[in-house]
Amino acid sequence: MSFPTDTIAALATPTGTSAIAVVRASGPHVSALVTEIFGEKPPPRHAQHADYRDASGALVDDVLFTFFSAPNSFTGEDTVEISCHGNPFIAQKILEDLFARGCRPADAGEFSKRAFLNGRMDLSQAEAVMDLIHARSERALAAANQQLRGALGRQMQSLISQLVNVLAIIEAYIDFPDEDLPAENRQSVLDQLKELQTGTARLLATSHYGAMLRDGIKTVILGEPNAGKSSLLNRLVGRERALVSAEPGTTRDYLEERILVGPHALRLIDTAGLNPTPSSLEKRGMDKTMEQAAEADLFLWVLDATRPLPALPSSTAGRLSSTNTIIVLNKSDLSAAPGLSVPTGYRSAAVSALTGVGLEKLRALVARLADSFQVNIGEELIAINARHAYSLDQARQCLECASAKLSERSSTELVASDLRGALDALGQISGKVDNEQVLDRLFATFCIGK
Amino acid sequence: MIYNQKKFEVIVCGAGHAGVEACLAAARMGASTLLLTGNIDTIAQMSCNPAIGGQAKGQIVREIDALGGEMAINTDVTGIQFRLLNESKGPAVQSPRAQCDKKAYQFRLKHTLELQPNLQIFQATVTGLIFKDGMVVGCRTNLDIDFLGQAVVITTGTFLRGLMHVGQNKNEGGRLGDFSAKTLSGSLQEAGIELLRLKTGTPPRILGRSINFSGLQEQKGDSEPTLFAFHDTRGGEDLFHVERNGERRLGWQPGSEQISCWMTYTTPDSERIVRENLHKSAMYSGEIVGVGPRYCPSIEDKFVRFADKPRHLLFLEPEGRNTNEYYINGLSTSLPFDVQLDLVHSIPGLEQAVLLRPAYAVEYDFAPPTQMFPSLESRKVENLFLAGQINGTSGYEEAAAQGLVAGVNAVRKVRGEDPMIIQRHEAYIGVLIDDLVTKGTSEPYRMFTSRAEHRLLFNHGSAEVRLRHHANEHNLLPENRLRRIEDKVAAIARWQTQLETEKTKGGTRGDHLRRVQTPTDLPAEFMAQPKEVREEVLYRVVYRGYLEREERQIEKLKTVEKIKLPADLDYLKIPGLRRESALKLQQFRPVNLGQAGRISGVNPADLSVLMVLLASDKTPQP
Repeated sequence: MSFPTDTIAALATPTGTSAIAVVRASGPHVSALVTEIFGEKPPPRHAQHADYRDASGALVDDVLFTFFSAPNSFTGEDTVEISCHGNPFIAQKILEDLFARGCRPADAGEFSKRAFLNGRMDLSQAEAVMDLIHARSERALAAANQQLRGALGRQMQSLISQLVNVLAIIEAYIDFPDEDLPAENRQSVLDQLKELQTGTARLLATSHYGAMLRDGIKTVILGEPNAGKSSLLNRLVGRERALVSAEPGTTRDYLEERILVGPHALRLIDTAGLNPTPSSLEKRGMDKTMEQAAEADLFLWVLDATRPLPALPSSTAGRLSSTNTIIVLNKSDLSAAPGLSVPTGYRSAAVSALTGVGLEKLRALVARLADSFQVNIGEELIAINARHAYSLDQARQCLECASAKLSERSSTELVASDLRGALDALGQISGKVDNEQVLDRLFATFCIGK
Repeated sequence: MIYNQKKFEVIVCGAGHAGVEACLAAARMGASTLLLTGNIDTIAQMSCNPAIGGQAKGQIVREIDALGGEMAINTDVTGIQFRLLNESKGPAVQSPRAQCDKKAYQFRLKHTLELQPNLQIFQATVTGLIFKDGMVVGCRTNLDIDFLGQAVVITTGTFLRGLMHVGQNKNEGGRLGDFSAKTLSGSLQEAGIELLRLKTGTPPRILGRSINFSGLQEQKGDSEPTLFAFHDTRGGEDLFHVERNGERRLGWQPGSEQISCWMTYTTPDSERIVRENLHKSAMYSGEIVGVGPRYCPSIEDKFVRFADKPRHLLFLEPEGRNTNEYYINGLSTSLPFDVQLDLVHSIPGLEQAVLLRPAYAVEYDFAPPTQMFPSLESRKVENLFLAGQINGTSGYEEAAAQGLVAGVNAVRKVRGEDPMIIQRHEAYIGVLIDDLVTKGTSEPYRMFTSRAEHRLLFNHGSAEVRLRHHANEHNLLPENRLRRIEDKVAAIARWQTQLETEKTKGGTRGDHLRRVQTPTDLPAEFMAQPKEVREEVLYRVVYRGYLEREERQIEKLKTVEKIKLPADLDYLKIPGLRRESALKLQQFRPVNLGQAGRISGVNPADLSVLMVLLASDKTPQP
């Protein structure tokens, strides 16, 4: 038995923070994927060091990857294993990128199933594989049900119900052309589609917040050399984590620590200072700072209260805004320089990393900002995972196509085809929506029949 | 007594739209076939409205034609009005529809059966089946003559314990003026086949000269009629491929001398009459237990369920050229006759209308179709095939399609060959049968285009292309027609490639066509191709992206459709299968993994478990 079409991907190591995480993809497109992502395909079974860049070209992590060619792999298909740093967020990013490149999330126990069907396991292991599929799917089902009982389930039901409504309208005009239906109203259908798109986008937006919840809010401390960033990290962590000295540029690489601020988990990252005229060694540290800043959720911009406001590299400055940045005026124990004026609109806290004065106020500000990241839909908190995001994104694309087709007055049979695609995608999250449901809605809405 | 002149290969019981296709298919495949009917004069009777085709049904009729059936050609030559529906919704969902001359339709079909070699017709009412060792081996009749056959196809329509209602008035029968098959139900139940009740209805018929047409809106046929049969591959000389020299049958030039239908509406008076008499309606007074179709509601239902709708559209459809009878499409009811009279007279144009036949509702037995294999053979009784309304469907076209498939498969079974299974992605007929045997139905099942997930592939013009491998494999079409179909397929492929590769300004011709949607300045050589070829090529080019997406999905499905599930698999003993799914699978006994996946409650993990099990060769037997 062969599966000529699908390439699947999933995390092969347990979720959570560990030294390394392994993402595995298997299927006929793996060979092309490896070349596409890494620019080359090393000989099979050779671990290779490379940068993993996502489809937009942004660096995700430096990884070790190994290509296995069929049939000499675990599944018996072309397979790639990508070992990245054991941060769940990085693994998630790589998975999301693989999905964007055409892989689909593996079903429960699917790698083992493929291995078995491709003759990579002994026949005597059949029952073990069946049990594994069963156990994993039960667990996945339980987890999904748990989620669907909550706010996510209600949101999904409301999206599906709206979509079934729209589809029932479109189908009524296709299947009952000779009926005395109200005049067709494309604009009203377009409006309903717009609402659906908004709803889908809102749910999709919680995907990143989901990652923040699971992995912590990526908080980058940045500022000029010797502004006191490492001292602030030590203060917040509550111990001497970073080496500090009076010498500017003591921190060359970045450091990461996890802390709790109120209800929020933060991944606190101390970075090398941004010097407008760096030495070559400093420059390397600064590059890393900017990489970290590119993906940060929250910034603590540390300013030396005794010095004038420094200029930041434009790529980093462009990421800072009042909704994601808190200005930390350090060295408040020394007198404030008359030239320093804080940019307007930003929250700021005057602290002394040395004495600890002002730290409580800073924590409160951080907690408040983190609160605002929470994407609220209705009253409840929703956060979706990568698999949900994959399906929602498919639905979003289909809805966009449907809207475009409707606006350019294409045949409604094509609009219906896209809407069905969206319905199937949403059905992957909360259970397949049968054709019969559309017909039920249709007959409940329109007086049809002769 | 036993009719001992012959033991038939196939016996078909019932000569409605399912029965005639079943016996023709069997006889045309060379099997010795017997058709038993309670009344030879009502062969292929249109019990409800005198029309064939319409949404999705029109495509089914063309599919029947592609498989050697008779319905399409019979409609073309006895049609009195032709219209192509849905011209604005896109080519895939366009469907031909025709009003037919009711009598001409049935006489021509009767004549066709009479001329068919290998087919014997006999008038007798089937009263029971003869079983031996869990198999059906023949039928008993009301004339006390028994007939023996190797396979039996049952197409009883609404006749199984048919009971008609006009208000409180009840009459036994499957159709006004006809009988009721009362004992056959018992015979089926004895064999372990479960039967339930369904209900359907039909409106009053009125006299044309009592209608005041002035002020009514006319609905004319298309000036260029879209026909059902594939005349391009019949090639003139064998337009009617069952006809031989010298035979002269009823019919006329397809599409000539069309007759109009007329439109009118109910009035507030109509609504008042219905509401005041609701308690007298058989359906509203609890007289009827059977479930009726939602898409074909009675006028009582329309006023009650859609109270905000001020009026309901009605069509007046002529029943033929040589009759003055009209059918009031949209006025199905089970109200008493006196109320029906008032109701009809409250409608503009019908103030003086003379009723020829009252509207009535009819209840009948059906066998829930999940009791069948996809071949339409009963799971309970070997060699017994069921087709048409007995399987819970509604509509002439749905019945004819099943009859054709049942007839073919009865012959295949008798000859020890694999059945013809039309897949969901191949045709509406495939969707129809798969829905029936996999999901069953709780109301009379009618086809809608929205039931087909791959309907973009089911444009009516492509039926021959889609189904030719079945026609070829089961020998359903004459040689020369098959050859012409292959020529057509080749021409389509050639021109498709040419338009996709030939460069024009800003890309290929294909790119250009997809941009502008309306074809202009195409090569003269292309324009010289037959219309059927041109239309199919343009469809494929303009819809290319969508069709490719469908094909990709189908490729995935095919893998699981190919994985057969053993008939004696004990699902309850399979480790790792969820109990809920195991019970469902044990009940429905799907024939392959694809069908298993379409059973509600069976999820992808269950399919994975089955896949591993089948590969491991450890299938638990009972």
